[in-house]
Amino acid sequence: MITAFELGLIYAIMALGVYLTFRILNFPDLTVDGSFTSGAATAAILITNEVDPFLATAAAFVVGSLAGMITGLLHTKGNINGLLAGILTMIGLYSINLRIMDGANVPLLGQDTVISMMRGFTGVGWTSVAVLAAVALIFKLIMDWYLQTDNGLALRATGDNEQMISSFAVSTDRQKIIGLMLSNGLVGIAGAVVAQHQGFADIGMGIGLILVGLASVIVGQAIFGSRSVMQATLAVILGAVVYRLAIQLALNVGLNPNDMKLMSAILVVAALLLPQWKGFSKLSLRRRSSSPLADAAAPLTTPDAHLPKASAEKGA
Amino acid sequence: MLTIDSVSKTFFPHTVNERRALVDVNLELTEGDFVTVIGSNGAGKSTLLNTVAGRIHQDTGVVSLDGSDVSRLKEHQRAAQVGRVFQDPMAGTAPNLSIEENLSLADRRGRPRGLSRGVTKAKRERFAEALKQLELGLEGRLKTKVGLLSGGQRQALSLLMATYSDPRVLLLDEHTAALDPQRAELVTRLTRSVVEDKGLTTLMVTHNMVQALEVGNRLIMMHEGRIILDVGAEQKAQMTPQDLLAEFGKLKGAVVDDKTLLQ
Repeated sequence: MITAFELGLIYAIMALGVYLTFRILNFPDLTVDGSFTSGAATAAILITNEVDPFLATAAAFVVGSLAGMITGLLHTKGNINGLLAGILTMIGLYSINLRIMDGANVPLLGQDTVISMMRGFTGVGWTSVAVLAAVALIFKLIMDWYLQTDNGLALRATGDNEQMISSFAVSTDRQKIIGLMLSNGLVGIAGAVVAQHQGFADIGMGIGLILVGLASVIVGQAIFGSRSVMQATLAVILGAVVYRLAIQLALNVGLNPNDMKLMSAILVVAALLLPQWKGFSKLSLRRRSSSPLADAAAPLTTPDAHLPKASAEKGA
Repeated sequence: MLTIDSVSKTFFPHTVNERRALVDVNLELTEGDFVTVIGSNGAGKSTLLNTVAGRIHQDTGVVSLDGSDVSRLKEHQRAAQVGRVFQDPMAGTAPNLSIEENLSLADRRGRPRGLSRGVTKAKRERFAEALKQLELGLEGRLKTKVGLLSGGQRQALSLLMATYSDPRVLLLDEHTAALDPQRAELVTRLTRSVVEDKGLTTLMVTHNMVQALEVGNRLIMMHEGRIILDVGAEQKAQMTPQDLLAEFGKLKGAVVDDKTLLQ
């Protein structure tokens, strides 16, 4: 249980990154599968070479943001579809990550890590959860602050109305690259901390991570709301914790850890399909034109997906 | 100050769909000119505006602002000096941002956007003051998301935002066409007063002949990519919509659409 909370709060940093691209920029960025492992690999290899673990974690941010920059350049300057640009970077990073680690994994046994240093003060228990919660909260507050600055507002407007913001002299290409860099930097940090938490970096640790991120964002915003930026970022963090607890519950019920990827996929599919089901709006207690789940999932469903629903309503 | 020199633009060249949207267009606006542009559908009015804004790049010719050639600048680079209001009331504002955040974005036009706070107390007071001119009560709803406003309110806000940081050129692309008559009247009135107050050099495309004659100090009529009529302030004051229709009648193949006739 404690571990589930700890992991949830570490993955929350990744979820904040996914929130930045997926919700703010309206850009489903698949780079994260690669940049998460890149962050972990970078930090692990630096730590085994006696670099300060905090410095190593900061380096993971830089490497992650470089990965984001490549996706951004491919998409904006190369006019490559956003999904494909992310996939291209993700696949390319697989080889790069193997190069960084010089193998498929790097153990961190007996090394000083940010987690082992934290354990020195807190041990394992609710105090360690509290420390990680405070760290996640700091990242949340930094993001809240950034999204209220001139540059952050330009970033939000880029995802909201591209035509409008370029008519106010903002380069949307530049803002998208900035957003992708920040997002993947955060994902890199999360990868680095997860590696230090589990005691090794592994080439496969980022596989399917985008689904974890999307599930955290969609579930969090459906439960806790997203009316303001501050509420939305808090919802994302809580969503990441809820997701991790759900996984823990599934494991306790007797599911195999290998089943977890399927569980993540089913969870996201459910979150995307439920709002389209006619009975769902009747079940929704709060009578609103659109449910919070539908709002949260909207960027991932195509307009066509709503057509059968609309015609069904006409027929009724 | 705004010079359009022998500008031509052809869409889909060398195909069956080839369309010559601008044919060797010359136009010179002096400081403070308020020019209304009319013409039938497909006359090249919107292409002309988009060429000035940098959304469309001309095939030949030069667009220059204050004597410097801006032909090669991208849309967002030109936007530092060019303000725009679009026909679609939803196009000029960011729906998920609040009124004050939208105004803050407009306020930073042409200046670097760094890490200082977007909306400060001092700015909020300035924004409220500016919103009072709209007489829509928006000054009391600074934190409301723009997506919750009506089309008319959003278009009035778009106009305020486009003119907020005094652009060198203001481009209005049928910005009242999608509004009901009452709201269109309001936005037209606001347009006249803000252009007059700030002395903005303005290019306004319109379908409404009455509006084209009432507003501004100069009128041009376009047809098949060419400027076929250019009327100054005195002559314009004497003209009636019937005179304009007669001008249209002289053109071979010009189709005046129902919307224009009904106005």
